[in-house]
Amino acid sequence: MRLEHKRSRLVFHVKNLKLEWAIEPRYWRNPLIAVAGLFLLPLLIYSRPDYMTLLTTANIYAAIAIPLSWQMAGTGRLNFGPQFFVGIGGFTAALLSIHWGWGPWQTLGIVILTAACFGILISPLTVLAQGLYFSLITLVLPLIFLEITFVFADVFKGEAGLSGVINLINLGKIRITFLAACYISLVLMIIYLFIVDKIMRSRIGLYAAAINDDEVVAETCGLKIGRWKMICFVITSMMIAVGGWFFAHYYGTFAGTTYLPLNFMIKILLIVLIGGRGEIYGSIVGAYFVAFLEQALTALGPVHHIIFPLILLAMLFVLPEGLYGIYRRHKYREYYPTMRVRKRSI
Amino acid sequence: MLLKIENLTKRFGGVLAVNDVTLSIAEDEIVGLIGPNGAGKTTVMNLISGYYKVDSGRIEFKGIDIQNARPSTVCRLGISRTFQIPRPFPDLTALANVGVGVLCGKERPDKSYGDSLLDASHFLEFVGLFSKRNVLAKDLSLFELRLLELARALATTPKLIMLDEVMAGLNPGEASRAIKLVRKVVEEYRVTVFWIEHVMKVVMEATERVIVLHYGKNIASGPPKEIVNNPEIIEIYLGEKIA
Repeated sequence: MRLEHKRSRLVFHVKNLKLEWAIEPRYWRNPLIAVAGLFLLPLLIYSRPDYMTLLTTANIYAAIAIPLSWQMAGTGRLNFGPQFFVGIGGFTAALLSIHWGWGPWQTLGIVILTAACFGILISPLTVLAQGLYFSLITLVLPLIFLEITFVFADVFKGEAGLSGVINLINLGKIRITFLAACYISLVLMIIYLFIVDKIMRSRIGLYAAAINDDEVVAETCGLKIGRWKMICFVITSMMIAVGGWFFAHYYGTFAGTTYLPLNFMIKILLIVLIGGRGEIYGSIVGAYFVAFLEQALTALGPVHHIIFPLILLAMLFVLPEGLYGIYRRHKYREYYPTMRVRKRSI
Repeated sequence: MLLKIENLTKRFGGVLAVNDVTLSIAEDEIVGLIGPNGAGKTTVMNLISGYYKVDSGRIEFKGIDIQNARPSTVCRLGISRTFQIPRPFPDLTALANVGVGVLCGKERPDKSYGDSLLDASHFLEFVGLFSKRNVLAKDLSLFELRLLELARALATTPKLIMLDEVMAGLNPGEASRAIKLVRKVVEEYRVTVFWIEHVMKVVMEATERVIVLHYGKNIASGPPKEIVNNPEIIEIYLGEKIA
């Protein structure tokens, strides 16, 4: 029996048998290894529920950022209001759960449906509103929603938020419950990763890239841009709303003041921008980075509210292509979308 | 008649960009469109391909009215175009650029993503850019961009291909290669070519019929030899006798 290492594979010689094991030479690019690592991580910190919550939050941040980065490419526009759909998902789940006593798996379908309805209502904006106007409208939408939660305080409970939402999962022991919730969030994120990755590598991904690069030319090539932008917007809105559903059931409460204001939006947008624009794997790196940085800075006291965005902004200047960009700077062949805010022109 | 334009008029505010233009293009023709700057040549092209709303008049392609149709509809009917300033998808590779044309052009059922990229590489090979298939479009030179645009326009399987100043900014060697390529396109794909061009030498060499626009009006139409000897056109556009 002999073991031999050739350039990209291990070769086992057992008597007359020759077995080969291909090594992914760029192991850091092998998603399976990374996913296995993510699955092992919660087990390592099993005894610390606070870290577990941190991981769960990071996973959900990533689960919001992954569809968002697809949406940014697929509609060719910067959406400044992803938290609008987080709010819709969260409030739908919370209201259903409180008033009708529905469990998380019963509310999930209704959450997705509600988000789809709102997505279809708003999706014409992706065709009508150009460049900055789309960003402005999407920026204002969640703030209007926040106002609504204050005005109709008897329904949405304004400042205090809705409480008494049925928990996501309850397995008796608190640590096991936290672990299970963490794995649910991880599975949600990985499902999103898988779906969006497959889509970005298919023809729909090519359409998204073409729309992001130049809508006018894409339409000249026969692409029905209106249809594809609306489809992309609706699907990603549904995916983002599930993030809100998770928050509502995980914490048992849902308050508009936590998720709808701008600081939550900034976090999500920075995850997308720091991870690498339009790069879904980068979103995960960005989400973990932002979540851990936020946690680490809370030790500094109230100052961290200022320092946190400052560090992130500095990073955007130093690393305009994000953390993933360090590695991707020399990767030439792969599609790397540039974010542009532009007017429609001939 | 493949393309018929009747009494086409387009105004931008007070400017009459296209004024009562009537023209027609038969199948398998190479038609040149010339005229001084601001004569409305590109506007005519934008009106045909559906970017601008037509004020009045009608455009008919293969017997179907296409005025005010969406650009994507016009493309799927079989009209494709190139742009005066090349507009590739800058962050896509050359292959993916042409792949967009293959996938989005005329509807072909059962076409997978891989198949379409194979088709795209055929078109790239045809224009001679196959070796640059993995280069991002923003890194290509001007000439290569024009070839890429031509490949992308061909990939949508058009009947009529509209070229907007292909020769602008090319050196003589590249220009003669481009003329040869357009000829090859006509031979192999049997497309009709509608060609806006400023370089009179190219117009003389490559086109079979020339239409002259002046202040949004078409003032003459005929074989290039006749056009360049027309004293009125010499006065308004050419400036001096060419041939």
